[in-house]
Amino acid sequence: MTEKNSQIQAGSSVGKNLIRVGAWERLAGQARFCADIKMEGMAHVVVVRSSKHHALIKSINLDKARNSRGCLGIFTSRDIPGKNRFGIINKDQFLLAEDKVRCKGDPIAIVVGETLSEAQKAAQLIQISYQELPSIFDPEEALRPQAVKIHEKGNLLGSRVIKKGNPDEAFSKSEIIIERYYETSHVEHAYLEPDAGAAMIDEDGILTIFASTQNPHYDLKDVCDLLNLDESKVRIIQSPTGGGFGSKLDLNVQGFVGLAAWLLKRPVKMVYSREESFLCTSKRHPLKIWYRSGATKDGRLLAADVKIIGDTGAYASYGLAVVTRAAVHASGPYEIPNIRIESIFAYTNNPMSGAMRGFGVPQIAFAHESQMDLIAESLKLNPIEIRLRNSLRVGSQTATGQQLDASVGIAKTIESIKPYYDEARNKGPVLRNHKRYGIGTASMFYGIGNTGVQNPSTAQIELEKDGSVILYSGAADIGQGSSTVLAQIAAQELNLDPSTIKLVIADTGRTTSAGATSASRQTYISGNAILDATKKLKDVLVTHAANKLKIPRQRLEIKNYSVVDRKNEQKGITFEQLATIMSRTGVPLKWQGFFDPDTTPLDSETGSGKPYGAYAYASHVAEVMVDTLTGEVEVLKVVAAHDVGRAINPENVRGQIYGGVVMGLGFALMEEFFPGKTESLKDYHIPTCADVPQIVPIIVEEFEPTGPFGAKGVGEPALIPTAPAIMNAIADALGVRIYKLPANLERVMAACVLSKES
Amino acid sequence: MPDQSQICSDLISISFVLNGKRINVSVDPSETALMALREDLCLTGTKEGCGIGECGACSIIVDGKVVNSCLTLAAQLDGREVMTVEGIASDAAGQCLQRAFAETGGVQCGFCTPGMLLSSYALLKQNPNPSREQIIEAISGNICRCTGYIQIIEAIEKASTDLLNSNSEEK
Ligand code: FES
Ligand code: FES
Repeated sequence: MTEKNSQIQAGSSVGKNLIRVGAWERLAGQARFCADIKMEGMAHVVVVRSSKHHALIKSINLDKARNSRGCLGIFTSRDIPGKNRFGIINKDQFLLAEDKVRCKGDPIAIVVGETLSEAQKAAQLIQISYQELPSIFDPEEALRPQAVKIHEKGNLLGSRVIKKGNPDEAFSKSEIIIERYYETSHVEHAYLEPDAGAAMIDEDGILTIFASTQNPHYDLKDVCDLLNLDESKVRIIQSPTGGGFGSKLDLNVQGFVGLAAWLLKRPVKMVYSREESFLCTSKRHPLKIWYRSGATKDGRLLAADVKIIGDTGAYASYGLAVVTRAAVHASGPYEIPNIRIESIFAYTNNPMSGAMRGFGVPQIAFAHESQMDLIAESLKLNPIEIRLRNSLRVGSQTATGQQLDASVGIAKTIESIKPYYDEARNKGPVLRNHKRYGIGTASMFYGIGNTGVQNPSTAQIELEKDGSVILYSGAADIGQGSSTVLAQIAAQELNLDPSTIKLVIADTGRTTSAGATSASRQTYISGNAILDATKKLKDVLVTHAANKLKIPRQRLEIKNYSVVDRKNEQKGITFEQLATIMSRTGVPLKWQGFFDPDTTPLDSETGSGKPYGAYAYASHVAEVMVDTLTGEVEVLKVVAAHDVGRAINPENVRGQIYGGVVMGLGFALMEEFFPGKTESLKDYHIPTCADVPQIVPIIVEEFEPTGPFGAKGVGEPALIPTAPAIMNAIADALGVRIYKLPANLERVMAACVLSKES
Repeated sequence: MPDQSQICSDLISISFVLNGKRINVSVDPSETALMALREDLCLTGTKEGCGIGECGACSIIVDGKVVNSCLTLAAQLDGREVMTVEGIASDAAGQCLQRAFAETGGVQCGFCTPGMLLSSYALLKQNPNPSREQIIEAISGNICRCTGYIQIIEAIEKASTDLLNSNSEEK
């Protein structure tokens, strides 16, 4: 079918800067985010949360609260009709705590009030008595045999080992060995829209939940289990979502509003305050990384020995995915023949860590890119040169033994930043006495989609009776622009104006699962599912047109909602006419597409396997100015080259790069969440426009044969090289390296002092 | 957020011009302008991102100046002229900004967008031809977690150029 269709000319919507779907309603203030929802008789939900890090719940006294004015209901774990467990990988979270709390902010009860203030007032009247347990805040401590158990099964979340070649022998042959210890901190997602959701029971008795979410179809499953309802009785609709970056993959509101609406049979809404969002939603995992590299004296990597210890906090969330992804990417985008990587994560009483843009790769990239510079420095090699010398190529084997057979754009990204690097080296700015200028580079690779597991997407495309086209996808667009890109892919195949395609998106009542909006997977995986569906519809359209027009298929093309004769465009048949013919002859108008990347599971002992169907690559250069009197780091410029396979919407790709670079800048210099201390945007600073450097995005297109029109992904890669490039630039400026992120004023000042001493 | 039920004071009635129309409304003296707009007047385009003056999602224009509506009392709007995102398309400057934001990728998730639009609208009204520094200054109180700001800055530059061009054509 593919071959037949490929003879038929496709459109020109791929590669175009189509205006983002939903932009206009947002610009008019008309997009209805969850907090904007108002329903007749709507009540308000607030959650009563643990004030202790780790404690047994001795008693909960609800009497006073129940009698408080406007209180419609109070629910605890006993009121949950189904199984009080959820979690995307490990079912270790409780919608409402049973006998124990494992971190501050653990939910214990929900209160529903006529008004928000009545709900809040009743919530304050709930009395909880605790018996405190010893708390653990360090993952290594949590893994000691005598440590108090946070979960019944113990404190080990999981581990991953990757082995290749003979690292011991390789280290003994290495002419240079660099061994260092790195650390990263908790990071808050700080999407601008605090978590929110609403729920109601519709006229057919279906519990309908509106949520700010990245994964409606997963939400559906967990909500059904919690409420003991059949999937046909619940519908999740993704509302416009004000950013997610991973944290809205968790069930932050869906269970609460679902439970309240179902038990009270009333519409309800719940909106997190910013403080609640800081306290209770997942964070980026802080990692401790020991990294030993061995190389020859001409800078060829021979071996890497890496140990990663991660803190997943009180619950797993996406922790297991981070355990593995950090390990798989610990080599960096380099060919290293001998590898030993061990990654191990533990539960603590810290806030839960989960998915955050990059799943552990931004952290591990800080380590491997610092190592590359350290090796280059001790061998007096150019940092660009050493990266080029070791970079993966077509035919290379990754740490997991996956042979890369196409679309390996790492060298191209390095080559495209090289002129900027060289120019900065040669010129540099004029220095004032206490300022130091530095240049740094960093590279990364990133596997698209979930690691070594099935993670399919499904989609449908439908021809309506009037000849218009509707695209159905479960893929949540959280601001990254997937809806636009998916429409462009379908439009390309059908040679239509993408803005005329009707979209039905991320509604479990009307779409099938596209999997999560995570792991930079929607363009590649859902894009392919949509392409599959669209090709089927196209095939059917062309077949019927050939039949009707008595013209061979090869001579037909699609133009403007018609199938026409290439030689005589007057001769053709409209989609509308074809729809009539098809429905009369019993041919379906709606076609289904499916795609699952070609992966294999990783071996539990050696970690070998094919974890991903495609990889994205990137390299950045950062220029910084360090003020040695204040410790302030100004990032002057970032050049960011990204191999995205094919840019379906280049403006969108640039938008992802700009946003990623700025988030990476925050990760490098300012963002550190202190559990138990950080409360709000007052004490957690994210970059404002005053912090933004000049950013030069470079799109590299190394065609991916398995991608839709060659596309891969860019959402997470955009952020990954920025922090290590900035850290390498600071080291270049000061001659002293910082080993813990973020490089805040204090850490930079300490480095400045060392720099002056030496 | 103040707990309204604890405050027994009576509602006060205020009158102000909202997006070009005079309105009268009764508000609680402790109520913020953000709550009054979103809850009492059902204009939900103005967003709450933090409630403490840190993010700018709640920006509105009061007598030509941008303020955080989460830190402004509703009562303070009495007698003023107020603009929210719902009124932004009322003139050429607002329309140019909307178009430029759409075309340059200035909108990703769109949660910061209303605040960004109002801060840049107030800027263009005061200074039709702002420098990049002045643009950055004008939106420095508005946080965006998605875009990295570049395409927003470019959108404001484009809107300014478009507006100047359309004005000179009219003359
Ligand atoms: S909501 Fe007003 S500044 Fe954040
Ligand atoms: S577009 Fe999402 S916060 Fe600005």
